[in-house]
Amino acid sequence: MDFSAFSSQFLVGLSRAMILFVVCAGLSFVLGVLRVPNIAHGSLYMIGAFATFTLTKLIAGSTGFWIALIVAPLLVALVSLIAERALFCHLYQREHLMLLLFTFAISLILGDLVKIVWGAEYRSVAAPALLKGTISILGVSLPRYNLFLIIIGPLVAIALWLFTNKTRIGKISRAAAVDREMVGTLGINVSWVFAIAFIIGCYLAGLGGALIAPTVSITLGMDHTLIIEAFLIVTIGGLGNMWGALVGSLIFGVTQSLGVLFWPQFAIVFPYAAVVIVLLLRPKGLLKSVW
Amino acid sequence: MKKRVAVRGFELVAVLLTFLFIFYPANAKAQRPIKVGVIDCYTGPAAVFCYDALNGFKLALDEINKKGVLGTKIEFTTRDDKFKVDIGLSMAKELVMRENVDLLVGTISSSVALAVSDYAKGEKVPFIVWISKSEKITGEKGHRYVFSTGENTAMAGKAAGLALSKKPYIKYWIAGDDYEYGHAIADAVWRNLKALKPTVVKMGETWWKTGEPDLVPYFTSVIGAKPDAFIVCGGGATMTNSLKACKTTGIHEKIPVFMHTATDHAVLKPLGLEAPEGVMGTMDYHFYYPDTPANKAFVKAFQDAYGAPPGFPAFHGYTTAHFIAEAFRKAGAIDKEKFINALEGMVIDSPAGKIEMRTCDHQAVLPMYLGVTKKVPQYDFLISGDIVTLTGKDVMPSCEEIMKARGK
Repeated sequence: MDFSAFSSQFLVGLSRAMILFVVCAGLSFVLGVLRVPNIAHGSLYMIGAFATFTLTKLIAGSTGFWIALIVAPLLVALVSLIAERALFCHLYQREHLMLLLFTFAISLILGDLVKIVWGAEYRSVAAPALLKGTISILGVSLPRYNLFLIIIGPLVAIALWLFTNKTRIGKISRAAAVDREMVGTLGINVSWVFAIAFIIGCYLAGLGGALIAPTVSITLGMDHTLIIEAFLIVTIGGLGNMWGALVGSLIFGVTQSLGVLFWPQFAIVFPYAAVVIVLLLRPKGLLKSVW
Repeated sequence: MKKRVAVRGFELVAVLLTFLFIFYPANAKAQRPIKVGVIDCYTGPAAVFCYDALNGFKLALDEINKKGVLGTKIEFTTRDDKFKVDIGLSMAKELVMRENVDLLVGTISSSVALAVSDYAKGEKVPFIVWISKSEKITGEKGHRYVFSTGENTAMAGKAAGLALSKKPYIKYWIAGDDYEYGHAIADAVWRNLKALKPTVVKMGETWWKTGEPDLVPYFTSVIGAKPDAFIVCGGGATMTNSLKACKTTGIHEKIPVFMHTATDHAVLKPLGLEAPEGVMGTMDYHFYYPDTPANKAFVKAFQDAYGAPPGFPAFHGYTTAHFIAEAFRKAGAIDKEKFINALEGMVIDSPAGKIEMRTCDHQAVLPMYLGVTKKVPQYDFLISGDIVTLTGKDVMPSCEEIMKARGK
């Protein structure tokens, strides 16, 4: 096995894992604080990607992409704020199955809305000029954009950690995840805590969509493929645990990429096989779950 | 006196009504329109191609219905098969049994095409396939009731074999969508290439889930394997993804890449100027080549009606409508068996020249244009350049080969 082939495959897998992490961190956060398994998370990721496409079409050139990277997740956060205040906040008292079905319905509605607004065609977003082409690191060839993703992932992780551990709202969110009644008893408006947590989670979904836009064809159906992977990752990492989402994403992304190298015909099996092994050994997830 | 007049009046009316009933049915038969049932995929990524075909079909029908066929018009109704065999089949049954269509047309999915073809054979209803590319449709699973106005994997495979056998590459890597069409085109290309150049070697194969969006890890692993050339096989949507992955990984700059339909406009358009240059491809229709008056007129009419240039599905849809009209005219009646007899061996004029519907296998004799993706100043998308034309006769399997495949 050629070392450079192996390492380039590993790095590509790592970059894919970083996008998965951004999305799953959001999902895990929402799951932890609100106890809502948000199936519409995949649809929001898809909206983030399509919004990036539209913004790059409106603002030509590389700046279009950088602006889209900032604005598209904010748009997704706005959509989720509207959904949360209008629909979700009335349902927190209901049982989980209700919420699951409700988010599933929302995901179908959003999926069709995307089809109405953007149509059924494949869309493509170009990487910005700075990140085009490949770069050679120690003889290993890697697309520049993938290197960018490998850098962005840890930055998001650090930002999220700072938020949950160093800001007041973040600490309250963590507390609400553990015991929402107590937080309410302390006189804090739990409803607004939930809203903020939900928006942040959905912002991350939109950011994931914006980040993946230059690497894949943006299509309908990308929400379905992603949400299955996202739930598996969040489960094996430990529900509600951000570091768990990171570990799960790394396992998933890297096994997928290395699987392609070693056994291309069965490459798609590798990450799911890894999930099965983890759940057999540690059914509650690798790291501590909040639930 | 009054009574007699009333009786005479009544008799007159009765006679008039009787005459009307005798003559009315005869008129109705000539006035009944020709009904075509279209089954295609109008949801998901394949929809783009299916709408293109339908638009080409509608454009032709607008022209045809001005003159009329057998004193009547050709009407059509569409059904969405959602790329699923069971849905396509149930739509076919509904069209034949409830709508009483005179013929079926359609499908982009080769699996749906084969299923509907089998049903059409049983019901003795003609079925014209216009996008699906599996060679089995007019090859080993062909029969009297199925026709194809599109190119198929045998033709594409032979064209690729002819093209690649002239190149110095020995070690090949093959990759593609893991479904019927992906494997069919890979087998056809390899079979023909190996026959023309026995020294070629297949280093390895990679098959991904159909419609897999992120092909970068697969392409980087192929770069690592260091083949002399890389062949990618997949449906239209995957081709766009593959071209994107080429651009991202830069594989086409290190290793020559060949993809059937890489030079198709529908595949190149979404990528705009970001599409990779220098990728080899084959296609059976280009709106910009050959630059004949007939092609120009067709493209202009299509562009005026639908706001975009026609792709190969539109070309096939257009020729299908003309084949249908001419065959009914020659048959002289709305009769399925007479229609089939008339359609066999029929030659029509098309934007790309004369096209013959070959009698032995019901396959339209289409050329293959081999080209390389290229940027040009007048368009904001890439086109096929350095085009080499292979005629239908060069690339189609012979009638003997077809009969052998059908086991006759």
